[in-house]
Amino acid sequence: MKDSAIVICRCEEVTLEELTNTAKEYKCSARELKLRTRAGMGYCGGRTCRFAIDAILMEATGNQTPDQIPLKYQPPVRPVSFQTLGGGCHE
Amino acid sequence: MYDAVIIGAGPAGLSAAIACAKWNLQVVVIDEFMKPGGRLLGQLHQEPDGTWWNGIKEANILVEQARALGVDIWCGVSVHHIEEVGQGWRVHTNKERIDTPKLLLATGAAETPAPVPGWTLPGVMSIGAAQVMTNVHRVRPGKKGIVIGINVLSAAITRELQLAGGDVVGMVLPPVNPITKDAGNPRKVMQSLLRISHLAPSAFLRMGGKLSRANWMQKLALTFYPKSGVKMWGIPIHLRKAAVQINGEKEVESVTICSVTPDGKRIEGSEQTMDVDFVCIAGGLYPLAELAAVAGCPFHYFPELGGHVPVHNERMKTPLEGLYVAGNITGIESAKVARAQGFVAGLSIAKETIQSADSAIDKHLENALDEVRKIRSNAAIQFHQDIHAGRNKMESIYKEQFS
Repeated sequence: MKDSAIVICRCEEVTLEELTNTAKEYKCSARELKLRTRAGMGYCGGRTCRFAIDAILMEATGNQTPDQIPLKYQPPVRPVSFQTLGGGCHE
Repeated sequence: MYDAVIIGAGPAGLSAAIACAKWNLQVVVIDEFMKPGGRLLGQLHQEPDGTWWNGIKEANILVEQARALGVDIWCGVSVHHIEEVGQGWRVHTNKERIDTPKLLLATGAAETPAPVPGWTLPGVMSIGAAQVMTNVHRVRPGKKGIVIGINVLSAAITRELQLAGGDVVGMVLPPVNPITKDAGNPRKVMQSLLRISHLAPSAFLRMGGKLSRANWMQKLALTFYPKSGVKMWGIPIHLRKAAVQINGEKEVESVTICSVTPDGKRIEGSEQTMDVDFVCIAGGLYPLAELAAVAGCPFHYFPELGGHVPVHNERMKTPLEGLYVAGNITGIESAKVARAQGFVAGLSIAKETIQSADSAIDKHLENALDEVRKIRSNAAIQFHQDIHAGRNKMESIYKEQFS
């Protein structure tokens, strides 16, 4: 197996190669890389691959890691049921 | 209504709760794990003075003390969102919603991934997961394993696996890729390991520790690095070998490793296969700050503290009113530092809650701050050599930009 075939995002099965090529081609932001490849958009909410996506992006674009977190965190930061989000359990 | 809500029942969260409760604040500690104690529950290691650090015992002491003071501890409850409302914070959990004037984030750290071809096979786990299986659930992760990633944390946990009767065939480097980078470079890894050489019962590594200033000596040591590795507690540490591929049909069956140059380049034709049924991947730790991020807290990137850290001052206050941080969310350090930081955060919260003219609490706060500095200076395991520089930088950023 080629190194570039390593699966980085398990939920959406996105490989290192796909992420590196996309980052190089579009010189994009972390958000754009996510939207183009779906890496980090699976049911784990990017909790496993977020760090790797940021690292791949910095390497491919040659940018330094910025002080603000590259890929924005959105609530809910843990998997929750629709019932919980809808307020069903509070009222 | 609680005076303060604390997220995370590890050493920082529990000791913050204790400090608050001592000043008669009503507090609740929330943790998503089913037992309180956080990562203390997995820790068991020998200090340089020969005494043992038993994390489970330390956790029990904190839990009993907190409960005796009337602290509520909710386990198995996940916080999925926090937001600023009126004069305080709203905490959304999978059970209920709580409003509080003061909120402390003591969420600790998460493990950094170190991708290796084949790492999605069953039987591959992070080293932290292996630690929880072994020390918390008392389940052996497998019959025979290998550790990929050589660092302070993985050395300590590998030792724990061994103490629990696990068979670890060795520790090797991860392959070099955009994510692992320096973690696959023998020279860089050697430099970071020399900082824990005083813990190693090996003349080779101890000698290395004393001579660590000299670059040529490190190079020499790596050039003549023994083929069978250097043993620490009988476990071979292969600084000149890297994992190439994890193999198996439906689960882990073996790992292919190869020799690498002192700069981490693969030596073709040196591949060999080791039969194992579990693999622990150790990429290190980063501060788990997702809730600070959704709250809108400003961040700063500090490689020496492990990554992106919410801006805070020495008293554990963030620039957001009523929001505090303590423990590994502020930078990767030992449980003892986290515990001391938690105490500072608790006293900070108490001071602002009671707002009394009583100077007694100021005195306690000063003492607690001294305690953090003392413990940090005496730490047996320093996760990063520049931790002091990082802490000082954070303090000046807070002062210049936010106070």
